[in-house]
Amino acid sequence: MRAEKRRIALTLPAEAECIDIARLTLYGISNQMGFSYEDIEDMKVAIAEACNNVVLHAYPSDPQGTIDIEFWLNEGDLTITVSDSGTSFAYEELGELGQASMPYEGKTLDDISAGGLGIYLMQALMDRVEVEQETGTKVTLTKYRTSV
Amino acid sequence: MNRKKFEVIAREEADQHTIYVKGELDLAVAAEFRSAIEPLISTDKEVILDMGELTYIDSTGMGILIFFLKARKEENRAFAVQNIPQKIKKLLDLTGITRFLPVQDGAPGQEAGEV
Repeated sequence: MRAEKRRIALTLPAEAECIDIARLTLYGISNQMGFSYEDIEDMKVAIAEACNNVVLHAYPSDPQGTIDIEFWLNEGDLTITVSDSGTSFAYEELGELGQASMPYEGKTLDDISAGGLGIYLMQALMDRVEVEQETGTKVTLTKYRTSV
Repeated sequence: MNRKKFEVIAREEADQHTIYVKGELDLAVAAEFRSAIEPLISTDKEVILDMGELTYIDSTGMGILIFFLKARKEENRAFAVQNIPQKIKKLLDLTGITRFLPVQDGAPGQEAGEV
């Protein structure tokens, strides 16, 4: 792996059936970069959750919508951006960014719901998560390489 | 895209229903999973979800688990999971769902979240 940045891009139809293509591509890239099995599993969940949000929320009336994914293969990390050009759905309504505690901590079964799980998982499984919203939504997920 | 990546098999026995989930439970197959377990909400028999061959679960899959857990509780009926693979357990632990999931692994009635 060279020191300079390498970029691999992937555009998928915003359909649930295509999300596993994102996971498989991520697997190929992160495996080649030498990430551990556990890190790869973490990233697979995180990228799929970012894609889920695009499929579920970004294109309420556009069946042609796409998920644009970029993998930045950096020396010290893998950074993944998942973008859409659809409706900027309110990310904060899907869950609280920066929330560190478990969503169900101290709650009873009656109090819990599935909302916010995806965002929580992304944050818990990646080293850094950023969300930008201008035209559409862009989620940036970073996993650092732990030096061996 | 013909690779069968998820399978759900429901087996009815004398005193319980066992649902076997295999492969990847994600958004693409969430509706299939939901329609397989939804008819069991009101059954008098215990419902056991066997995750032994589950390789992946996402937030939509977990959402359906929570939905079913709540529905069974409302009906005052028994529901348990068994054979949770380590990497699935990690995700259930991470979100805190484990606390609500009675685990049946050869030790009936044993609670999962005793940590």
